[in-house]
Amino acid sequence: MATTETHSPNPAGTQVVVASSRFKTLISNQQFILLIVWILMVIGFSLINHIFFSVGVAENILLDWAPLVLIAVGELIVIISGGIDLSVGAIVGFTGVISAFAMRSLYEGSLAEQPYLVLAIGVLVCVIVGLLVGLINSLLINYAKLVPFIATLVTLGACSGMALVFTKGAPVMGGPREAIALSPAWIGPFSRPVLIVVVIVLILWAFVHKARFGRYTFAIGSNSFAARAAGINVKRHVTKVYMLSGLMAGLAGFFFYLRLGSGAPTSGLGNELDAIAAVVIGGAALTGGVGRVSGTVLGALILTTVTSGLIISGVDPQWKRVVVAALIAIAATLQALRKTEGGAS
Amino acid sequence: MSGEVLYEVRNLTKRYGAVVALDDASMKLHAGEIVGLVGDNGAGKSTLVKCLSGAHLPTSGEILLDGMERNWHSPHDAIQAGVETLYQDSGLAPHLSVSANVFLGRELVKPGILGKMGFLSQKQMDVQAHHDLEEVGIAVPASGRSVSQLSGGQRQAVAIGRAVAWASKVIILDEPTNHLGARQAGEVLNVMLEAKAKGLGVIFISHTLPHVLQVTDRVVVLRLGKVVKDAPTSEFDAESLLGTITGLKVD
Repeated sequence: MATTETHSPNPAGTQVVVASSRFKTLISNQQFILLIVWILMVIGFSLINHIFFSVGVAENILLDWAPLVLIAVGELIVIISGGIDLSVGAIVGFTGVISAFAMRSLYEGSLAEQPYLVLAIGVLVCVIVGLLVGLINSLLINYAKLVPFIATLVTLGACSGMALVFTKGAPVMGGPREAIALSPAWIGPFSRPVLIVVVIVLILWAFVHKARFGRYTFAIGSNSFAARAAGINVKRHVTKVYMLSGLMAGLAGFFFYLRLGSGAPTSGLGNELDAIAAVVIGGAALTGGVGRVSGTVLGALILTTVTSGLIISGVDPQWKRVVVAALIAIAATLQALRKTEGGAS
Repeated sequence: MSGEVLYEVRNLTKRYGAVVALDDASMKLHAGEIVGLVGDNGAGKSTLVKCLSGAHLPTSGEILLDGMERNWHSPHDAIQAGVETLYQDSGLAPHLSVSANVFLGRELVKPGILGKMGFLSQKQMDVQAHHDLEEVGIAVPASGRSVSQLSGGQRQAVAIGRAVAWASKVIILDEPTNHLGARQAGEVLNVMLEAKAKGLGVIFISHTLPHVLQVTDRVVVLRLGKVVKDAPTSEFDAESLLGTITGLKVD
């Protein structure tokens, strides 16, 4: 009897193991799950209101998605390195405002006849200011030895405060009118700026997952002592990571400027939390060393799809926060499950 | 059987605030020699290792490689000069793959402009890492697996494989036989003997005194940050070595 009991459950037991390992592979492929979730969302919202399934709505979702994915991918890289960047939303508003001031004075002055040159200078201002704030973050972290949370909380306060002080809270207008003309869709639902964002994200994907830059970022987030012991200049790399995050936020600042035709000190407000949400939903771990650009891209897409979908379904869009909270909880639970199952990303 | 002096520290002192972790320590390592570095917890072994590997800058004293004075400002400097270190328990990035760890900081890149931008030649690294670990011959894991999925012995094999593959002068091994069974520990000791036969200098830090007595040529004993004994291994047996470490036996 003892023998039959020990032998007979074996085949069944093996099947259970196989099934559970398949389940494990499936839940460990977070991008696949996210894609399914997103498709289900699109189907669901389209069934509730068929207007949802249209180029116009897709265009709007992409216009929301593009600036979010810019800061979210920057945030992802910081989080993979084991840090956090709370300043990105403030950088969006700050760079938008500074660049709007610069563009206005050029457009009202010597470059009145060259709106596109003015806009190009506007991009450059956003990029430079974003890089500078990122540099300040990294100096606070590397040399003042502040933890990233505090360092970037400091620059968050400084940037959002200065944006409000310089503008007295009002949007900065008076730049080239051509700005707004760039935002409507160009190919399908894609506007020119959105397509540029797609290209930027693809380039970052390559550098994060196929190049030395990403390898060092993962190594530092995984074990910064080991990274340093292997000869990696950790401080220099951390500087690059925060400067890149600032740069991405600066580009998002310019994206908002194009969309609004002005630099608003309040644009980007709270965006750091949306970015972190997109990163977490995308499967990255706040403890560092784990994350995929594709996951973050889908995470940002899901967030913006939820917002549009709720509005079109006639639901109070404030429910978005609750839905996002639920998504974060699910994503984090899946990750905890994977960890206890002994798997690594 | 030992060659010329390869690596040397003279009057090395390291203070952390008021704490003197290393007090006027001196030692020599010859080419083709294994030196055992032993001492109780807090004797200064890890501090000395960190100074030797470039992780810490000593407060005072000299470090000489090939007779030239060196100031390691980071582990990178020491690695570039051919000094490899295996750190106790903390030398690998667990989220990275085996080959990514073996090549960490020395990644192979694609040819041409892509390589200049830092794009990695992952396949080449996977193959080479597997080859390097096979040379070492301990519990070779697949190159693509993440280190967090490996057993303690496999992790140690990766760390040792990396150190042996890259060292051109000196290998410093801090507790390399930790987490290993008797057979695997024996293989690690063989790896050290092979490195010695190739003319490298090996510094072996261990609490497992039989291992130290088995493979080393000389033993340096640290106690409370000072070198209290530096003698050929043949002068010790297990009992006298333990006595010297604990300070219960005075000579």
